[in-house]
Amino acid sequence: MLTLSAYVYLYKMLNAPAEFASFVIIGGTMVAFWSNVLWNMSAQFYWEKETGSLEVYLVAPISRMAILLGMALGGIVNTTLRAAVILIAGTLIFQVPFMLQEPFTALLMFFLTIIALYALGMLFASLFMLYGREAWHTANLLQEPVYLLSGLYFPVNYLPFIIQILASLIPLTFGLDGIRRVIILGESITDTWLNVAVLVVFILVLLPFAKFALNYMENLGKKEGRLTLRWQ
Amino acid sequence: MAVNTILRTVKQAIWLGWKIDTNWANPLVFAIYYLVRPLASLLIVGFIFLIGSLASPSGVFDPQYFAYMFVGNCFFVYVTHVMMSMSILIHEDRVHYEVLKHIYLSPASLKWYILGRALNGVLNASTSLILTLGFGLLIFQGLLGVQIPINWLGIDFPLLALSLIIGMFCFLALGFMLCGINIMTSRVQFMLTEYVSGTLYLFGGVVFLPEILPSWGQTISNALPITYFLKSIRFAILHQTSFDAQTNIAYLVLTTVGAIILGIGVFKIAEYKARRDGLIDRKEEY
Repeated sequence: MLTLSAYVYLYKMLNAPAEFASFVIIGGTMVAFWSNVLWNMSAQFYWEKETGSLEVYLVAPISRMAILLGMALGGIVNTTLRAAVILIAGTLIFQVPFMLQEPFTALLMFFLTIIALYALGMLFASLFMLYGREAWHTANLLQEPVYLLSGLYFPVNYLPFIIQILASLIPLTFGLDGIRRVIILGESITDTWLNVAVLVVFILVLLPFAKFALNYMENLGKKEGRLTLRWQ
Repeated sequence: MAVNTILRTVKQAIWLGWKIDTNWANPLVFAIYYLVRPLASLLIVGFIFLIGSLASPSGVFDPQYFAYMFVGNCFFVYVTHVMMSMSILIHEDRVHYEVLKHIYLSPASLKWYILGRALNGVLNASTSLILTLGFGLLIFQGLLGVQIPINWLGIDFPLLALSLIIGMFCFLALGFMLCGINIMTSRVQFMLTEYVSGTLYLFGGVVFLPEILPSWGQTISNALPITYFLKSIRFAILHQTSFDAQTNIAYLVLTTVGAIILGIGVFKIAEYKARRDGLIDRKEEY
């Protein structure tokens, strides 16, 4: 909320149109989810390994995806509360304009974005399972660069073309763009169907890929004896 | 405590911190990791600036103000690095590696050990700063054609060095305060750093002039050493503000002394209470 406020003040100082502040508030709301995906979902198996409890999870006769799904649901509840506070406080403090015409489209876009993000988090979780200290650095590395690429604080269509190509690899870019267009610019499902379609594709690709990657990394970890290594 | 023991403690702590931070990767990967995050942060603010200027009714881009933002954001890396390294240190050493209690069993003192680890944070921040400045200029000036009016030969190096030294004392003192709070609490290290550095980012005039804040915000800004630190740094590099450098340094010293009293005071009280209440070897991960 504090950093987000700094960006709103920066836009105000530049006399940018009021909807740019709305862009920042919506972006800041989604930061809460990305942080949760990164630090809780992706890094979860790393934390468990470091605390010596990963083997307990692996011994249990349950799917790794089910563990992560449970963690995701718990994380979504907590994070939604945090995001709601950011959204409400940001809207009230900075009096940002919204033109929401289709709340159900906004909700659809939001849920598709969340599912795609947590699917990406599950995919990262397979990598982080084998990581040592680099898990911490990787999570750090994926923070600000994703804020930049996905246009959390400005519309991505202003970015150079090559960066837009890179940005299109992140589900958050399409989700955030769709949510903003529906909430801030008052667009409808017919204007944003492409965002919905891309998010569905992301989900359909990422979920099975995450399952495959989790199995592969777990087997690799077992072969190399890296699943119980601590303090690497 | 003998001076030799203090120096050895600080030296070993710097070395240990450096090893922990770097020996998981080869130097190139390490450099990339230490560049990418601050550079991305600079690019976010830079793009906000460019897009905001372009979308404004006048559509005018102000290079002087861009330079103001550029320098402020680059030097803010000291705050984030020092705060983060000092804030997570207690958690890392007490809970993760379980070595905090061993420091008490050695001839070293905890505060000198923390100082050494924090100085490693300063070294890392300096590495990040140099890389970010270089690549930031390359991207904005070289690739995007944005003119950043910095006369590298005209930099007031004595003022820059003085501001950096006083600023480091201040950030280390605030870091000791965070260490103190973390000894007494558990699992708040990330949140705490985020809140403190976020407050400094918002009210410290890092990317926008504090004058745009509401009056209560300006009062907070005037009480923060980071405000005077960045003003001095900008004056040394950009010469763009017509203010009295000596008065500003005096305010920087004054607020830094306040930060030192607060930081060391909080740390000493917290350390005493932690030893009394048996918190030095507390386990949190279960």
